[in-house]
Amino acid sequence: MTNNDTGYIKRTLPKNVGKLGIILFLVGAITGSVGFFLDPARASYSYLNSYLFILSIAVGSLLLVAIEYAANATWSTPFRRMSEFLASSLPLLILLVIPLLLNIQNLFLWSHSEEVAKDHMLQAKSVYLNTPFFSVRVFVILLIWSLFYYLIVKNSRQQDETGDLLMTKKNNKLSIIFIPVFAITVTLQSIDWIMSLESRWFSTMFGVYLFAGITCSALAALTFISVMLKEKGYFHPKITKDHFYSLGTLMFVFICFWGYIAFSQYMLIWYGNLPEETFWFMQRWKGGWKIVSLFIIFGHFLVPFSVLLSHPSKTNFKKLKFISIWILAMHFIDLYWLIMPGMNGNGLNFSFSWMDISFLVATIGIIIYMFNRMFEKYNLIPVKDPKLQRGLDFHL
Amino acid sequence: MSLDYSEDMVQFTREPQLVELDDLIAKPVETNPSKKYFLALTFTASLLLIGIICTGITFYFGIGTWGNNQTIGWAFGITNFVFWVGIAHAGTLISAILFLLRQKWRNAISRFAEAMTIFAVMCAGLFPILHMGRPWLGGYLMPYPNSMNLWPNFISPLVWDVFAVSTYFIVSLLFWYLGLIPDFATLRDRSKDKIKKIVYSFFSLGWRHSNRHWRHYEKAYMIFAGLATPLVLSVHTVVSFDFAATIVPGWHSTIFPPYFVAGAVFSGFAMVVIALLVVRKVFDMENIITLNHLEKMNKIILLTGSMVGYAYLMEAFISWYSGVHTEQYSAINRAFGDYAWAYWTMVSCNAFIPQFFWFRKIRRSIPAMFIIVILVLVGMWFERFVIIVSSLSRDFLPSSWTYFTPSLIDLGILIGSFGLFFTLVLVFTRTLPVIAMSEIKGIVKGAQPTHNGGAN
Amino acid sequence: MSRSNKLHSVAAIFDNPDKVIFAAEKVRDEGYKKFDVNTPYPIHGMDEAMGLGSSKIGFVTLFFGLFGGAFILLFMWWSLALSYPLFIGGKPFFSLPAFFPITFETAVLFACVSTFIALITVFFKLPFNNHPLHDTDYMKQVSVDKYGIYILLEDEKFDKDKIIELFNSLGASSTELIYQPKEEKYSMFQPKYLIFLVFLAVGTSASTYLMLNKLMYINPFNWMEFQEKLNPQESSLFFADRRSMRTPVNGTVARGFIPYPYKGIANPKEVLSNPTLPTTSFLKLGKKKYLTFCSPCHGNFGEGDSRLNGQFPNGPTFHSDKVRNFKDGMIYHIITNGQNSMSAYDRQISREERWAIVDYIRVLQRAKNAKNSDLEEIKKEPSTND
Repeated sequence: MTNNDTGYIKRTLPKNVGKLGIILFLVGAITGSVGFFLDPARASYSYLNSYLFILSIAVGSLLLVAIEYAANATWSTPFRRMSEFLASSLPLLILLVIPLLLNIQNLFLWSHSEEVAKDHMLQAKSVYLNTPFFSVRVFVILLIWSLFYYLIVKNSRQQDETGDLLMTKKNNKLSIIFIPVFAITVTLQSIDWIMSLESRWFSTMFGVYLFAGITCSALAALTFISVMLKEKGYFHPKITKDHFYSLGTLMFVFICFWGYIAFSQYMLIWYGNLPEETFWFMQRWKGGWKIVSLFIIFGHFLVPFSVLLSHPSKTNFKKLKFISIWILAMHFIDLYWLIMPGMNGNGLNFSFSWMDISFLVATIGIIIYMFNRMFEKYNLIPVKDPKLQRGLDFHL
Repeated sequence: MSLDYSEDMVQFTREPQLVELDDLIAKPVETNPSKKYFLALTFTASLLLIGIICTGITFYFGIGTWGNNQTIGWAFGITNFVFWVGIAHAGTLISAILFLLRQKWRNAISRFAEAMTIFAVMCAGLFPILHMGRPWLGGYLMPYPNSMNLWPNFISPLVWDVFAVSTYFIVSLLFWYLGLIPDFATLRDRSKDKIKKIVYSFFSLGWRHSNRHWRHYEKAYMIFAGLATPLVLSVHTVVSFDFAATIVPGWHSTIFPPYFVAGAVFSGFAMVVIALLVVRKVFDMENIITLNHLEKMNKIILLTGSMVGYAYLMEAFISWYSGVHTEQYSAINRAFGDYAWAYWTMVSCNAFIPQFFWFRKIRRSIPAMFIIVILVLVGMWFERFVIIVSSLSRDFLPSSWTYFTPSLIDLGILIGSFGLFFTLVLVFTRTLPVIAMSEIKGIVKGAQPTHNGGAN
Repeated sequence: MSRSNKLHSVAAIFDNPDKVIFAAEKVRDEGYKKFDVNTPYPIHGMDEAMGLGSSKIGFVTLFFGLFGGAFILLFMWWSLALSYPLFIGGKPFFSLPAFFPITFETAVLFACVSTFIALITVFFKLPFNNHPLHDTDYMKQVSVDKYGIYILLEDEKFDKDKIIELFNSLGASSTELIYQPKEEKYSMFQPKYLIFLVFLAVGTSASTYLMLNKLMYINPFNWMEFQEKLNPQESSLFFADRRSMRTPVNGTVARGFIPYPYKGIANPKEVLSNPTLPTTSFLKLGKKKYLTFCSPCHGNFGEGDSRLNGQFPNGPTFHSDKVRNFKDGMIYHIITNGQNSMSAYDRQISREERWAIVDYIRVLQRAKNAKNSDLEEIKKEPSTND
């Protein structure tokens, strides 16, 4: 088995892509900073929303890489680099989280000592929900993720030059360790950033719910970029419809998983009908939020489900592009739906704001810029990966 | 450990001929069983007899003969039900989900695992029916137009159970039979005995291995797998709804659905490993059911065991985080109350013991895995026991708090369910091919065209 | 199977999958339509080689899945919200979240069962145990480890020798001529079959009868007809008087019964006041009850002209001054309590109906003693009573 005859030729993306990324980032960042200046409380919520969006894509992509290694999957090996590229904004998150921690008082009721003194429930939770511990948790978790990202990606890139089989083995071990670490850390992050916005609410399933959303969005980002690159001819010619069919199936499965988790969580709380749990859903069933809730049922589950159900549509590039953008948008709306209604309990009145968009624009700018940078530096395909040949020869 | 990632898992320790495979798989069906087989059958049948006697007593005198009391209305009966439904899940996982994931190693074990699914669902189905007290009135669970114009309460999770488990049984049976049709045809064409031939012809429906049939067959198999996958998730989800939809502290937890599904797969795989260890030894199938297969299974046991561990952590953490006193009390009561012994048995068997499978040596050592999977089964039985009994024993009315002690009848029925299961398994190994012949042949080297024109 | 000399098809055996897939392509390219490939397991790429499209079985699944889901959802809505609405656990009659699990399960059940039935009967056209291929050497080989092709006689281009030549040129290890089996005919009226039918009929009915009428009524099958309780009029050793029925405690009041305070008093000093309003519908009720219970003695118009024609003492007229001056409560009292030879009617006529009769008697009295001014009143306003 030779690894050199994969027939891959390295090319670079048009220069505009990098520029587009920078422009989007600057536009978003400048308008966003104005927002922070005008209304720091509202801006914090918008910022949190976009921050979790980029976090989802970054850490979700790292998870996909880890699953690929841990399961010894071969068909996805040609796609692995793209997930690595998408995960490259992980170390940046350590910087990006600082504005949030500075605005912690704008987001969380439990960070106000006078509120805690009034509320028995917040006192009981203050062992866990307090500013120092919270900040430490956030930084430690981001550091752990970045460390795994750094190690896994370093090994993977080193293999491009040396073709050392040992690297695959190392990454295999790292990935197997990463997966349980990820399960626990992502749960903590979901509790910290979202659940504690409405500090009385609780649900044991919530970490799994966010995990489902994260995986959907990471897969959608991967699918969108691979289809784009394949159409523009950047990709390896041996990548066939069978590969895209598998990607589509994977998306379909995780959409179903998301639907399953979301339904179970709602159904159990609806059925139990306990006021300490139902208020969270009641909040999201009032006024305009009802429309958003219904839209999420259709948009996050029914639409992708019916689009991806049939065999031919999983290999149809147009449909794949449409649905992956759609899923990414729906994940953003889902996060919006999770975060924003919490504002009302925090003494603010929710209304839609232009800031929600500006931070999103900046986020997209970062993702595009980072992807382009990685694309310039590294091979799009892990050229000396021992699993690559089998991945390219993959047939249904 | 070999570093060769460019090759798929080795399916056979030695590449067999196709005829050889047929001979090996058909041997238990075509030859007379040995003394050992009858010894084993006698043993399982005696267990079954104990069960039948205890069931008869329950039938005659009612469920007052069980250890259940006013506070703890669900105990062994529901524990056993959930346990056996869980065992069933591994079979569908292997036959459907691994099929969709194109894991070739499933072919060697799928038939056996599916059979275990069906037998386990049969065992599971017994318990709710017995628990009704008047089992002959069970027909009212089905919506049929009766003279009292009554319909089942479709809002009740217990009625969902009826639909879920019976659908699961029917679909598993059809799926299993679909896979058996080509094998019946092969057996028919092999057999020289006239009566056997008639029986096999009858069940093979006159299958001709025609490619015009194979293409529909493969598509239908895919569809069945695609439908069985959400079905298997839904079944244990519905079982978990029995508990989670109530407001009993310790039951009302949103993580129950995925947690129950992971636990089900976990215990089911443990049961499949036990049975495979015996079968591959007794029928000389070490070449087909290799250590590689067992290692893969052990990896899945490790994965699902860790998921179950995650759920334990989440339950404990969220019960503290919720700030609800009853939730907090129920968590503390589980870990340090009357049932602490059961709780810690469960945690150590389910969350800690499978962690030994991190070591490759243990994953590939037959005695070690045998001990571990038995402990896993014990742990998973206790998991359901802890959930049901410890929560019920501390209900909302402290004056009725009490302790559960099983009666002999309880134990007898539990033993009997194992007897029923293993008797069915033993009978199955002698009457039907335990490995899907048509599937295993397809993954032998040289069984598929090489795509080089074939002109050679 | 004994064979006729009618040819069915020509078959060839190949040793490996590459050869058979190549052969299938060639056979297709030669223009044969009615041929088939038999392999012990499905071979990748054979569908393209034979020029077969993709299977349409998925549509059956989709249709029946959707049908099953929709059917059970409608059924649950009908049975729990329309046919027998029950309020359960504070949930609405139509609780969509609670209906999803069953909807899903039933959809899967319908989809799977319909797919299976359609697959076997429509797509495979099985069972087909007397197909000519069965019991041939060809079949015995392809069901184990060989790969075969056969071309049917019905094919337009069928030519035995040419086909054998083609097969041999493609590297067939052997070829075989397959003949139709001899037709076997069985009469419906064989004695053996008839006896079997009789036994089946008798056996089924006897066992059903025993099952449903005898077996299901022995212990422990308890259908709750026999309960550990005492029925009325039954004797019991439990009580000293050996009766199961007990006299109620003094002062016991039956459910829904309001005691009448002046019961048994001939001329009460005070009576109840009329709690009802003489609405049209209420008067109609009073008329109905009056005609049933009062008119036999008191006459249809309360004039004391009994239909019983002296066989029984005539009831007094209601149009005497005495009766007209009775309070409503007094008439009610007389109905309830009885007077002279009239017995009490409180058991036959309900409380509300008695008041309705009182109101109706007032109407009769007014009608019998109408004044001219009353007629003018009626003329003034158009008749409102229907």
